Amino acid sequence: MVDLIKKNSKLLRESLFSSVGSSVLTIATTYLVINFFRGMLGFALTSDKDWLAVLNNMQLYMVQAYPEEDFIRVWLSVGLTFVLAGLSIGIWRSDDRVKSSQVFNSLFKGGLGVLFFTIIAPTNSSFMGNDGSVITEEVFSMDTRLGILIPVAIFCAIFFSLRFTNIDFSVNSSDMVFFYLFIPVALLWFIKLPTIQLDQNNERIIPDPVMPIAETTKIPWTVIFVSFLVSYFVGMYLKNIKSIKSIMSLSWFLLPLLIFSWIFKKPQIDMSVVLGSDLPVFGVFLLWGFLVITFVNNTIFKKYYSAYLGVTFLLTLVGVFSGLPMLAKTCLLLIALFSVVVPAVSTSSQGKRSLLIVWAVALVTLTFLLRGGASDSGIVVPGSSIFGGFSLTWLLAIFGTYVSFPLGVLLALGRNSKLPIIRIVCTGIIELTRSVPYITWLFFASVTLAVFLPAGVEFNLIVRVLMVTAFFSGAYFAENIRGGLQSIPKGQYEAADAIGMSPFQKISLIIMPQALRAVIPTLVSSAITAFKDSSLVTIIGLFDFLTIGKTVIGNQSIPVNFVGHDRENLIFVAIVYWIFTFTLSRRSMKVEKKLGLGER
Amino acid sequence: MSIIQTKNVKKWFGDFQALKGISMDVAEGEVLVIAGPSGSGKSTFIRCINRLEQHQEGQIIVDGIELTNDLKNIEAIRSEVGMVFQSFNLFPHLTVMQNITLAQIWVRKKNRSEAEEKAMELLERVGIPEQAQKFPGQLSGGQQQRVAIARALAMEPKIMLFDEPTSALDPEMIKEVLDVMKELANSGMTMIVVTHEMGFAKEVADRVMLFDDGMLVEENTPEEFFNNPKSDRTKLFLSQIL
Repeated sequence: MVDLIKKNSKLLRESLFSSVGSSVLTIATTYLVINFFRGMLGFALTSDKDWLAVLNNMQLYMVQAYPEEDFIRVWLSVGLTFVLAGLSIGIWRSDDRVKSSQVFNSLFKGGLGVLFFTIIAPTNSSFMGNDGSVITEEVFSMDTRLGILIPVAIFCAIFFSLRFTNIDFSVNSSDMVFFYLFIPVALLWFIKLPTIQLDQNNERIIPDPVMPIAETTKIPWTVIFVSFLVSYFVGMYLKNIKSIKSIMSLSWFLLPLLIFSWIFKKPQIDMSVVLGSDLPVFGVFLLWGFLVITFVNNTIFKKYYSAYLGVTFLLTLVGVFSGLPMLAKTCLLLIALFSVVVPAVSTSSQGKRSLLIVWAVALVTLTFLLRGGASDSGIVVPGSSIFGGFSLTWLLAIFGTYVSFPLGVLLALGRNSKLPIIRIVCTGIIELTRSVPYITWLFFASVTLAVFLPAGVEFNLIVRVLMVTAFFSGAYFAENIRGGLQSIPKGQYEAADAIGMSPFQKISLIIMPQALRAVIPTLVSSAITAFKDSSLVTIIGLFDFLTIGKTVIGNQSIPVNFVGHDRENLIFVAIVYWIFTFTLSRRSMKVEKKLGLGER
Repeated sequence: MSIIQTKNVKKWFGDFQALKGISMDVAEGEVLVIAGPSGSGKSTFIRCINRLEQHQEGQIIVDGIELTNDLKNIEAIRSEVGMVFQSFNLFPHLTVMQNITLAQIWVRKKNRSEAEEKAMELLERVGIPEQAQKFPGQLSGGQQQRVAIARALAMEPKIMLFDEPTSALDPEMIKEVLDVMKELANSGMTMIVVTHEMGFAKEVADRVMLFDDGMLVEENTPEEFFNNPKSDRTKLFLSQIL
């Protein structure tokens, strides 16, 4: 015990007060941090702030005006994501173990932090009243302070003394996820807060009755938590199935498409279109793929294969700008790409068979998703989009990254290509998109883009925004990835050539994995920028997370007057953004560390 | 029957002529050592044989296939010619095992267990089976070069090219690599070795060549080359390095 204190005080002296200069810096910074914290907390706690403006509007924050009778769709989307996450954690369960002493230590340190900040919390704080006078009031009474200090001190003491017992066990680090998730779900049931309630005359009941938070969401969240747990065990059970990992990766790829085309959107299906157009198109392309796979090794067909490829690409180009249904256009593009791959894979009959299965599954999935995405939505919402609030921010962030990342990879490769036309086009796209501000592109999406699309083609505003976002952040991703490509020594290309790899294999197996690994930090910072920049869509009339807090709630007068309470909302929005971006950057640091293995 | 034939091969880098007409034959199972001062074109020449560099004039025929711009021919030749580089060029993001199995799986279309079996066999042959699950960055230079040899052998090539395989190694590691190469030579592999290791040339080579200024100056048996060289240039070279 004495040794421990001695060791720690020595450490403290060496790291914080090693010289006069560093002592001054340490003290000055500590003073600044403490005062910043006192100011913020005092600001947040004065009686002119109404935090109910945040708490009471959670639904608005999450889904804006999404109709309540369709909420089950929102819960399904969230639930499906958690089930998939549970399965993945089960399948990729790590063997890392967290020691009990580590857990106790971090709980003890956390408790110490709370103690410290409770002690330095301000007692009084002042704000400006309506008449311009400065009002000072007590915001953190002695009772509150003691009410926090005593239990936390006991908590710290327990975990400090546990260090000296011989309790020693370890927990699988994947299992810890459930512990972290269990706490918030349990809290939903037990924490009670004052809530705004209206009586029969639509008058607010004063004082506000104290009710559990999340009266409406605790049951869905509990169900989701349980299914998460169940899928985790299922995942552990499925672990040894041969191709389960690629199936899971594919599911993650398809999940957002499924959610946005079928679950969140509630497509209105016209059966005559399905029978009259979708099924014939599906049949034609299935047959086409089947014929290509069957006759690919035929000598005559082989001889004219490059001519066939040329014709297919030409057809695709013509088809995209014709009046064909969306499904046919997409299938044309797909068969063109597919035909490029076929000769390389279908060397054996086994390869042919699996290729045919892949083709059929791809076609079924595509038809299914496109029918959902291209149909009208059955959800009736005032305004231009069914998405608003956090769901819009997420949609822009996820789809933005989802489309722009592969686009960035292609653009980066294109810019490094030896073929002059491809290089010039890719360089042009990158330079053009980067040289124009994002807001300009948003106006372009909302006002001008329709002019460039073929007659009769009309996209929802959100889709148009996604299109320009894909190119805009794609250009940034491309430049980051190009930086990574330049860091790969020439010897790597030569080594891949020397063992007989094709250009495609060389790029996808040797060069790209190394290039991406080298630029993870910049890629993550681009993704974070894209996430935050999604709040700019407010200027073209979309209601993202920030706009809900700042504009919508700031002007809310029914049923309760929250006008002028946008400061609380802005703080809340900032905290939520911070949580997501901070988590993202911490995760990426872990990934980096993991991939750094074997780096000299 | 010669497995490699070159006729009057010429190559320019811009205005600089690196190869000024090289004609030679290599018989199957022969071990050929190419020596010469730096900048003499010896590395460029063997890099032309598997098309890492493109020659502009002349003819290179490997195992009956002529090297032209036809990608099919280039791929066919590359899958028969293994290459070991001065700077190893292992893939740092893959383990030793993955380095050796990658091309077997993707180029030779073997299944994984077959490829891993072959890889273990080769790692035992080069003497480092215990390093299979490590990353290249965790190995010493000599071990990395032996992995590189195993990676090239995994493609079951008919010919092996060595481009100064020991030049980037510490002296005490050179021997372990040379031992592997000697074993390989004794097993009947056709080898072209660019090296400054004259001891290796004396002991293992069937023929020694001296390149200077993009030209083939001397071509001789090792005994004649070291004891009784024909040209003055060779005498000068030997006096400088021995």
